[in-house]
Amino acid sequence: MEQDAQLVQQCLQGEGSAWEELVRRHTRRIFNICYRFTGNGTDAEDLSQEVFLRVYRTLGSYRSAHGGFTTWMTSVTRNLLIDHYRRTKRDRITDSLDDAMPVVENKESAGRRPDEQALLGELSGQVQAALTKLSPDLREAVILRDLQQLEYGEIQRILSVPEGTVKSRINRGRIELARILQQLGVRPS
Amino acid sequence: MTWTCEQTEQRLSDYLDGLLNQAEQDAFDAHANLCERCTPMVARVSHLLTKLHGMEELETPPRLVYSILDKTLGPRDSVSGWRTVLRWVRAIASPRFVYGAVSVAATLMVLLTATGFSWRKPKMADLSPVNVYRNADRQVHLVFARGSKFVSDLRVVYEIQSRLHQENEIPTTPEGTLPQSPPDKQPGRTDGTRPSSPRQQNRANGMGHELEVLAAELPILAPRTMQ
Repeated sequence: MEQDAQLVQQCLQGEGSAWEELVRRHTRRIFNICYRFTGNGTDAEDLSQEVFLRVYRTLGSYRSAHGGFTTWMTSVTRNLLIDHYRRTKRDRITDSLDDAMPVVENKESAGRRPDEQALLGELSGQVQAALTKLSPDLREAVILRDLQQLEYGEIQRILSVPEGTVKSRINRGRIELARILQQLGVRPS
Repeated sequence: MTWTCEQTEQRLSDYLDGLLNQAEQDAFDAHANLCERCTPMVARVSHLLTKLHGMEELETPPRLVYSILDKTLGPRDSVSGWRTVLRWVRAIASPRFVYGAVSVAATLMVLLTATGFSWRKPKMADLSPVNVYRNADRQVHLVFARGSKFVSDLRVVYEIQSRLHQENEIPTTPEGTLPQSPPDKQPGRTDGTRPSSPRQQNRANGMGHELEVLAAELPILAPRTMQ
């Protein structure tokens, strides 16, 4: 945490190597959040780049007194993900209409690169598929809590909602996710 | 404490995260174990959490960091012209590179020599794959033939030495005395077998004579044979 704050200060003084270090430290985490939220590798890469671009431009507005750099950066990521969700809503409505039509090919696997398919095979593709079916409010709460292992307080700061709302969203998200998984044929062993 | 299905659903995450107090937990357990609606729900969510917590972090795509750096800091400077050459020279001026280059050169020299490349009169034709193959094949055959000849010579010399040694060890009978053998045995034999025919004895004597001549001609064996 302190190291991040130091690196931010060095970045603001114009040290490119400090920014490079920040990018290397946080890329994987940001990419994971984006991937879990979108369920698409290409979108996750584009969004990760967008996140860092925005962070780079607004680095001067970061105040360490208001919380850790990680929390601030996750908050930026979350805002961009919601923007992306809204932007692509129309496409998804079209997609859902297509879903209603009989198709031979599996919709989830259609459009994915082979490396993504392998990735999903290893990392429980069913859970990822179920995650993308959750509403964005519940999805982000579950991702932050159960995949990023963040504390309730941190999630509260990232989402800018009261702790009660955070808890409620996590709870509803988990129950809903379990229900979707059941519909997908995944049963508790 | 009474516990309802609504409470079970609302407090499920608190239960799974261990945030309920003892009384609440007992009431939750008592209800969840008996309720037909709540039991499978608790099992499903519990199973989900196990799966979620077991999911590993994805690896970052290899180019992502560089793409981000290019987009934020701008593309890295690409050096051209004599500066590139200077960079190359600086890079190869390290001792590690020099050691590596010397070892590679030595290996190449050994290989070229082995394939029959002439260092005194180097020709480009010697470096063509066909000629390299032919020369290497020739060298291998030559080395094999020389080795075979050397082993064969050694074998002959050893055989001669051992035979001469055997002959020297056979005790000679004094002249004028006859060998004494029991009357019931064949003359010249102690084991009751038939004596060798005169033809065989002649051949043995002839071979011994030839060996002596051969040994006399070989300078290594000469002092021994003279004894």
